[in-house]
Amino acid sequence: MTITMNRRGFLQGAAGLTFFIGAGGISSVRSEAAVGTLDVNHWLTIRADGTVQIVHPSTEMGQSSYSTLPQILAEELDAAWNDVEIKQLNADDRRFGNKLFGGVLYTAGSTGTQFYFDPMRKAGAQARDVLLQIAAREWGVDKASLRTKPSVVLGPDGQQAAYGELAAFGSRDVTVPDAETVPLKDPSAFRIIGQDLPRRDVPAKSTGQAEYAIDVDVPNMAYAAVLRAPVEDEVPLSIDDASAREVPGVIDVVAVPDGVAVVAESLWSALGARGLLEVEWSTTSPFRTSNSEETLAEYAAAVSATEASGATWAEKGDAPAAIANADSQFSQVYLSDYAYHAQIEPMAAVADVDADGQGAEVWAGTQTQSWTARTVSEVLGIPVESVRLNMMTMGGGFGRRTALMQNYVRDAVLCSKAIGRPVKVIWPREDDVKQGTFRPAAAQKLEAGLTAEGKLDGWYHKVATPTVIGFFNPLRWDAVNPNDVISMRGAESKFYGIKDFRADHLIMDRHARLAPYRGIGASYTAFSAECFMDELAEQAGRDPLEFRLDLVSENPRGRHLLEKVAEMSDWQNRRNRNLGLSFAGYSSSMAAGVAEVEVDADSGEIQITNFWAAIDAGLIVTPDNALNQIEGGIVFGISMALSEKIDIENGEVVQSNFWDYEITRASQMPEIEIYVAEVDAPPVGVGEVGTPMVPAAIANAFYAAQGKRLRHMPFTPDRVAAALET
Amino acid sequence: MIKFELNGRPVEVDNPPDEMLLLVLRDTLKLKGTKYGCGAAMCGACTVHVDGVASFACQMSVSDVEDAQVTTIEGLSEDGSHPVQRAWIEEQVAQCGYCQSGQIMRAAALLADNPSPTRQEIVDEMSANLCRCGTYNRIFKAIERAAKEV
Repeated sequence: MTITMNRRGFLQGAAGLTFFIGAGGISSVRSEAAVGTLDVNHWLTIRADGTVQIVHPSTEMGQSSYSTLPQILAEELDAAWNDVEIKQLNADDRRFGNKLFGGVLYTAGSTGTQFYFDPMRKAGAQARDVLLQIAAREWGVDKASLRTKPSVVLGPDGQQAAYGELAAFGSRDVTVPDAETVPLKDPSAFRIIGQDLPRRDVPAKSTGQAEYAIDVDVPNMAYAAVLRAPVEDEVPLSIDDASAREVPGVIDVVAVPDGVAVVAESLWSALGARGLLEVEWSTTSPFRTSNSEETLAEYAAAVSATEASGATWAEKGDAPAAIANADSQFSQVYLSDYAYHAQIEPMAAVADVDADGQGAEVWAGTQTQSWTARTVSEVLGIPVESVRLNMMTMGGGFGRRTALMQNYVRDAVLCSKAIGRPVKVIWPREDDVKQGTFRPAAAQKLEAGLTAEGKLDGWYHKVATPTVIGFFNPLRWDAVNPNDVISMRGAESKFYGIKDFRADHLIMDRHARLAPYRGIGASYTAFSAECFMDELAEQAGRDPLEFRLDLVSENPRGRHLLEKVAEMSDWQNRRNRNLGLSFAGYSSSMAAGVAEVEVDADSGEIQITNFWAAIDAGLIVTPDNALNQIEGGIVFGISMALSEKIDIENGEVVQSNFWDYEITRASQMPEIEIYVAEVDAPPVGVGEVGTPMVPAAIANAFYAAQGKRLRHMPFTPDRVAAALET
Repeated sequence: MIKFELNGRPVEVDNPPDEMLLLVLRDTLKLKGTKYGCGAAMCGACTVHVDGVASFACQMSVSDVEDAQVTTIEGLSEDGSHPVQRAWIEEQVAQCGYCQSGQIMRAAALLADNPSPTRQEIVDEMSANLCRCGTYNRIFKAIERAAKEV
């Protein structure tokens, strides 16, 4: 696709160039002054002052895509990084949509760099080509004779022009090259990608200046605290708010679909008055009978039933037949509980509904522009275009902020509409826990056969857990049913070459609110698969490393990771060190890990003293940040393996705060050593790759220490003690 | 009216005396660098200095700091030049960053009290503050870096 610019679009001395991106890349280029007011949704603008403004199409929750993605474009543009100004995409503009999510603006699944790498490189390369054309035109030279250095075009006879100067010359006679054929840099010429440029957001995050949704302060703003139904699906039957309304500062009491909001001049007043509400709740919800112990027992019974099967998630060959015909057969059941995101910024949003109710401005930290805009649009019955979003940097996401209906945003909108002022809704931590959306509880059965020589002969992985997508995004479920990647990821064990393989999803009834959680399905499927792998190795009388190496003969990059982590941990000479191996990953990113543990047999506490990890995530755009992300993923894995557990009794969440939902603290940190393979392959993401391998590595190390298997995650002290007594 | 010193300057507020100090700092005095995380002394996101001591602002009422000296992240330095902040940037500690004001305030109090802490002393002190992104090892390194400069 090549489009020659309309000459009428050119204005001498224009303020800058704006590049518009369509499905195939940049489809037109216009000088800024010539088009007057610019559409806000463009990839980049080069201003006459030399500033290069690049859109950040994702949202920032700590993963650093805010810096990383613009760096990809800046690389191909050959811009000086200091000239780059980053512009957050604050609209549901599907031209920037993530095609890995069907074009929805959705920051999840470690897909940001994976998806945007190509389009943002091409956008940068096209823009650079346009600058070269302008220079060629102005200097009357052949474009092929031109080169660039950061933010400067260099001519054959010593000419130099900064990008800003060239932008000001305008786009007369410029032809935008086709995105699919525009030449891209050879990676050996990269000077931004692969370097350790400091993150843009770190100074503000080190001085208290970073602004999160919970910090937003707009004139005339009120605060709301919502008393929410204790059990899903219950509604207020009657509300006595007389005492609440007497609290100084209370403005109004507003009914929301599943709760009652107190709106006040201060959060302090709102919280105090909320405590005085007398609400009679309905008692007819089917979730009243939900008890997490019974739920897990129900799932375990389903997966353990003879001939249990489900929706096929992955299949190769004939696993049941191979196992039946193998020289020996083994099976084992593994359990895992509900888990909570525990992002440190609780849910918060500010909404300011227009007086006529036909528009609204919203400030929220979510993982999706699309569903946030949709939430407001649905609640007010207005077009998505009438929603003015401000996507705030998030105090952690981990999947919590992904739902189709963002109910805390909804409540802010309803309160603002009711009182005619901007309203901030904040969920106190107790609300954030008790109204949480959780990683589902799961029961898994692994079945496998072994040959007489001790080699794997057939693998059948059954996962009994509800659909997560069916709850948090029913629209998507309609499209993908019965394939639920959130519930099942990892069960495909795709890094191993297993001839006869099958993984099934036994889609169970849902008894709690659910959401994606860091690592999604792989956070528990890799736990069971990699524990079972060690159990099989033992049955075969073989070393866990050697047993796995059989299965990676056609995955040399995976084999390298296993060998590397063995070398890092001195696996072969482990003697009395309690080491456990695991090989997992996330999506197409691979991870081999070794945990070293010490067990206090009296208290039942496990301390991880060392963790070694070898990672292959394709090309790494920002190496130091990748290390930080991978390490954070490992810490998250330790946390979920050791302590994270949500209980539900009679439909109510038992836990309420960090005192009864414990996440890993500084005192529990191991030494962590990470190796990242340098490979010539596209980037596939680092946000979650560190997490899935961890629980099995710990359980396998525990076995090395104590000779007992841990098959129920988390490995809380009481469970450890019980395992030691068997 | 309740008077105290905030980041070196005298302030007066007429909030309810029992109002949580954290909310007074954030919503009345508009210093948003100090964060709400749990309201229960469990996460440390709200850590400030009260008369030089690292304290949970969610566990104090505003009347508790009458006539006291309160320092928030905004008052630690004018421009992010406190050695702990410089070390935090140098080590690229932050991911989501939400807990980091509290981490930095605790680290600064630790170094003011103990200019060359051992690794174990650092770990013990910092175990009061949660970081869900898992940046603890970078936090330790940043404190050790800052200790060399203090």
